[in-house]
Amino acid sequence: MKAALAAGALVVAGGLVFWLASAPGTLPAEALAGLEDGDAARGERVFWAGGCASCHAAEDAEGEARLRLGGGLRLETPFGDFVAPNISPHADGIGGWSDEAFANAMLRGVSPDGRHYYPSFPYTSYARMRPQDVVDLHAFMQTLPAVEGETDGHALGFPYAFRRGIGLWKRLNMHPGPVVALGDGDEAVARGRYLVEGPGHCGECHTPRDGFGGLDLANWLAGAAAAEGDGVVPNITPSEDGLAGWSAADIAYYLESGFTPSFDTVGGAMVAVQENMAELPAEDRQAIAAYLKAIPGRPDGHRPAP
Amino acid sequence: MKKAVFALSVLALSATATVAADDPIAVRKALMQANAGAAGVSAAMLKGEMDYNPAVAKAALATFYGVASAFGDYFPEGSDAGDTRAAPAIWEDMDGFQAAVGEFRSDAMAGVQAAGENGPADREAFQAAVGPVLENCRSCHEDYQLKRN
Ligand code: HEC
Ligand code: HEC
Repeated sequence: MKAALAAGALVVAGGLVFWLASAPGTLPAEALAGLEDGDAARGERVFWAGGCASCHAAEDAEGEARLRLGGGLRLETPFGDFVAPNISPHADGIGGWSDEAFANAMLRGVSPDGRHYYPSFPYTSYARMRPQDVVDLHAFMQTLPAVEGETDGHALGFPYAFRRGIGLWKRLNMHPGPVVALGDGDEAVARGRYLVEGPGHCGECHTPRDGFGGLDLANWLAGAAAAEGDGVVPNITPSEDGLAGWSAADIAYYLESGFTPSFDTVGGAMVAVQENMAELPAEDRQAIAAYLKAIPGRPDGHRPAP
Repeated sequence: MKKAVFALSVLALSATATVAADDPIAVRKALMQANAGAAGVSAAMLKGEMDYNPAVAKAALATFYGVASAFGDYFPEGSDAGDTRAAPAIWEDMDGFQAAVGEFRSDAMAGVQAAGENGPADREAFQAAVGPVLENCRSCHEDYQLKRN
């Protein structure tokens, strides 16, 4: 009897620890204090760097249609199917959201009603964004067309349908500091680090994951199994397995035009990324290239160690 | 400079491609190498890595046109197997594939015509002539070429 009681108490205590450890943490009240008002013109640059259209615009959208963020892209992963929601400035989307609500989604992965988002929304990277950029991005998004209609919900199996559990995952996998330690000397490399590790979320595809879907930061950008399908995402570190043969100018040109140094063309999931990168000023593409040449080279991350 | 040398060597390669005419996979690869070379010099001139030269620009456009005119002939039944990244979609939808090659050809022909006798006058004119031709690379690869990874 006593043992059963003790066991019961333990279960309750364990449950409490879980409940506390998994609680959604929002930004401190002063996080957005002292920022300038959101500037839509600056926000447009953040929008393309962040690649929001790749998931939140209709699949295969071209031209102006990439600015209609009615959602709908279905991401089929081993954890289940995620559907990117409507984030246009419509009541069915995120119309009426405050800057705080938007910043909590982007920087903390927490919704206005205090629930965790799934990391299929790549906020583990967006958490590295500067608050001013987030506010500018929000201002830009409010200038975009309001699109009516809600998308289908996600189709997830147990235990992934249970959002509270994401809190524990976040404790292990949210690392909002810089991934690669680099000297502060080179301005272009620093800008490139910000773009790649933060808004560009390049690591979300190019870095391998552990069994729970957390990024293996020791193999940062070393290539990974594709999240969808059975292909691989290439190594983009400056090693023989990666981009050793590409000059910085080659990388910048690839991001601008989609042509590789041997004049093959970009394919697969990278097409949408490249189309976003093409919208950035040339100096941003050069900064990304400078960073990719400055980080440590690694062998392929998608190959089992010999 | 490295790119220009590479480009000239593949222009030469395209001329010898017919030697291996009994091996359609080898021929179509050589044709694509000629394309890559022409795209290489085009990009180098557009980016200013290489001085703009109207005669070289014209040669690049003519290369695209030549490749586009021949390329569709090297996909006989059975040549889907071997050391190739040609996608099964080509043989599943041969009409669609040939139409895509035809579009490449007509864009290249328009480029050659725009180039005129002496080649496009300046970099801007060349950009206007070659831009639509280069668009074909990606759209066709997306539909008819297997991914590298
Ligand atoms: C890789 C695909 C992907 C990209 C890229 C992406 N998102 Fe999302 N986003 C999602 C998914 C999936 C969800 C739903 C998450 C959930 O339900 O837990 C989501 C949810 C959101 C939400 C919450 C919407 C709501 O109604 O609660 C916001 C806001 C948002 N994204 C904004 C953005 C912005 C801004 C960008 C670009 C900087 C962006 N997203 C880029 C996939 C993506
Ligand atoms: C949605 C997933 C995804 C994201 C996000 C992504 N990539 Fe990629 N990337 C890919 C895939 C897939 C390929 C392979 C493309 C192919 O097969 O043509 C690729 C290819 C590349 C290549 C060419 C490598 C090679 O060997 O051909 C470079 C360079 C690159 N990505 C850079 C980046 C940068 C920089 C970012 C961030 C701004 C980024 N990628 C974000 C999926 C992604």
